[in-house]
Amino acid sequence: MLIPRKPPKGFRKPHHPDRHGPAKGGTRVVFGEFGIQALEPAYITNRQIEAARIAMTRHIKRGGKVWITIFPDRSITKKPAETRMGSGKGSPEWWVANIKPGRILFEMSFPNEQIAREAMRRAIHKLPLKCRIVTREGADV
Amino acid sequence: MSEVKISAEPRTEFGKGGARRTRRAGKVPAVLYGHGEAPRHIALPAREFAAAIRHGGKNQIFNIEITGGGTALALPKAIQRDPIKDTYEHVDLLVVRRGEKVTVEIPVHLTGEAARDTLVMVENTTLAILADATKLPEFVEVSIEGLEAGSHVTAGDVQLPAGSELAADPAVVVAVVTGAPTAEALEGETGEAAEAAEAEATPEPADA
Repeated sequence: MLIPRKPPKGFRKPHHPDRHGPAKGGTRVVFGEFGIQALEPAYITNRQIEAARIAMTRHIKRGGKVWITIFPDRSITKKPAETRMGSGKGSPEWWVANIKPGRILFEMSFPNEQIAREAMRRAIHKLPLKCRIVTREGADV
Repeated sequence: MSEVKISAEPRTEFGKGGARRTRRAGKVPAVLYGHGEAPRHIALPAREFAAAIRHGGKNQIFNIEITGGGTALALPKAIQRDPIKDTYEHVDLLVVRRGEKVTVEIPVHLTGEAARDTLVMVENTTLAILADATKLPEFVEVSIEGLEAGSHVTAGDVQLPAGSELAADPAVVVAVVTGAPTAEALEGETGEAAEAAEAEATPEPADA
């Protein structure tokens, strides 16, 4: 699973990341021919990213390549169960990628478009947000 | 690539409010500049513009008839799109003259099939070429037929259409053919990296 090597100093327990507005960058397919594009804001955990990647790679088997264009670099904290309020912020529990609409999450290069689309459809089922499959601008597909 | 005739209206209101009103009216705000002329702010019909770009690509040449302001031959220099709605937000148009040579980025299309058990990676999806503004090719074809793992195609190897010259460095790699990764290699791609990262990650101190 993807995880930051070391959280930046002073950002171990950040506030919840902003979920408003569209993606400012990473909205085009640049590495492969196909991509999965987010249509709504969400926090995607490293487990979900890994599950989606495995769903894709197991379907294409071989002969293709998958790129993950997001990284879970924000920690989300949680207080333990049955604890009273106060006594400071909870401990980091998950690592998430803060996704905004328009962001490309995964990219794929595969010779057969039908198989690539089916692989991405399976990956979308592992993700907690509405997505669509897009192709690279000017691609011959 | 043939020219597309498109009518345009001069814009009188600017800024985000004016631009949004223009878009709501079914038009795309655009600016026309080049050859030392003063920039002209115009509005293009959104449907016609989108159809022209869809069929002709990003290097579609336009013959623009401006209401009350003559005509201009122009090439899109920068196109801003809404990534969700797939609509055009703004277009920069560069004035060109007939017979003038311009440098544009042309999409690369791969043809043929490489050898078995190989993976073709397109390193550069476009190539910069110098060509006549009115005779720009829609794409360049790069043959990868029968290429074995470990071989690559550079910009210098690409056969360009007549009348076009390469503007990019001939050593720029266009496509690389590598051995296809096995299912096991795909499976363990991030697994090993994650294990190493988890081992390196500092343990979280327990909070009181």
